[in-house]
Amino acid sequence: MSVQLDKPWQRILDEVATWARKNSPWAIHYNSGSCNGCDIEILAALTPRYDVERLGVTLHGSPRHADVLICTGPVTRQSADRLRRIYEQMPEPKFVVAVGSCALTGGVFHDGYNCLGGIEKVIPVDVFVPGCPPRPEAIIDGVVKLLQKVDPDRTPARAGSEIVSEKEDTHGSYDRNPATD
Amino acid sequence: MNTILSLGAILLFPSGLFLLFNGIVYEWIDKKILARQQNRMGPRWFQPLADVTKLMVKEEIVPAGVNATLFNLLPIFALAGPLTAALYMPVGGIRPLLSFKGDLIVTVYLLSVLTIATGLAGANTASRFSLLGATRTLTQLFSYEAPFMLALLGPAIAAGSWQIAEINDYAGNHLLLLREPIGFVIAIIGLAGKLELPPFDAPEAETEIVAGAMTEYGGRGLALFHLGRSAELVLGLTLIASFYLGGVASPLAYLLKTLALLLGLAGFQALMTRLRIDQTVGLWWRYGSLIVLVQWLALFVLDMSRGGGIFS
Repeated sequence: MSVQLDKPWQRILDEVATWARKNSPWAIHYNSGSCNGCDIEILAALTPRYDVERLGVTLHGSPRHADVLICTGPVTRQSADRLRRIYEQMPEPKFVVAVGSCALTGGVFHDGYNCLGGIEKVIPVDVFVPGCPPRPEAIIDGVVKLLQKVDPDRTPARAGSEIVSEKEDTHGSYDRNPATD
Repeated sequence: MNTILSLGAILLFPSGLFLLFNGIVYEWIDKKILARQQNRMGPRWFQPLADVTKLMVKEEIVPAGVNATLFNLLPIFALAGPLTAALYMPVGGIRPLLSFKGDLIVTVYLLSVLTIATGLAGANTASRFSLLGATRTLTQLFSYEAPFMLALLGPAIAAGSWQIAEINDYAGNHLLLLREPIGFVIAIIGLAGKLELPPFDAPEAETEIVAGAMTEYGGRGLALFHLGRSAELVLGLTLIASFYLGGVASPLAYLLKTLALLLGLAGFQALMTRLRIDQTVGLWWRYGSLIVLVQWLALFVLDMSRGGGIFS
């Protein structure tokens, strides 16, 4: 859409869009070479025990429907291409959450002959969730941290506004929150 | 009817905004009941609204290998079908705006537009998952459509009219649920099939074929299909409530009866697991159609023994 409205109206529309994006992050999950430990934790986060649907998160099969790509594992040479393709199939605005030590740096596989390293070697990552594997609470916390980053100035809008992409230091974003424990 | 009133009817009351918001609210109620039955909290009250808004403001991708015109038009048709059907229905407990002899048939066909658009949308894209989804959607259409239609014709025959408004008036005096219980059950299950709710969600089975016919749709197209489905949920509930549950003569009756039906539909979803597509077809043609016909036969015999009202 290239319709430019007056400033206040544009502002209101942006606010509404941001509100909707914050409250309906549809996720897709891709394992680019993980040992399945993190995947089990992600599935645990989707169970009725944690029930992420109350935050609006639902798991979707198609990259075309998804807003958040949740990646686990180091990127192997074989899956690098697929990871990139899944990322490119997602419509803007899209976000990436890297889950687990391997997704951050390559973890125990970092020197492997078949291993490129962390997710960030292939696609841009918004939030890193460390842990081997991270607990479901940590993954949900990572998604919440991601949603806090979504605001109208930073969303890469196609309407010609500048993409502000100063990188936040999200390493070690897993602080236990005493309020929710 | 003058122009302003017609515009209001199309954009605001029976059809248009009212129906969309009604659909969004009912979708939330459905999800919430389902979640509570699965022992979870469930989505917040504005969840479907946020989902649709987000999809509307997302990037629109037209994948390679599709007919772009069709790709963009089909979601609009999918929403326009139910919105048009709403004009012939007692949505909100108000008398249908438009009415003519035989509008029941037209309405049932208008309600099928969504399914046909879904099937065409899947067949239009090059993705094999959408193609499989489209095949299943259309196969399922052919299996539930006849029993669903037969179940709706039961009350029509009892009322001696093919006009929704007249059947609604007739049903207000006769509780057809007690006279035609089988038709009621088939109509409810047929509605679940129409909306591709479990156990008839093989066309969009996430674990097998990604998202079925909707696989290549993201953004606005998906939002319109989504809205079309919520609108169809409301219309289906209205139709069944007005035919079988003693008519919807007032807004209060409308609310109570459709919500009661929705409760049943949500329970049905929580209870059942997905059927294979061949099981779906077998279920409808072997049992569904047959028992509706048996019920018709029973009605005829009962009516004849009383001195015949239907054919006289």
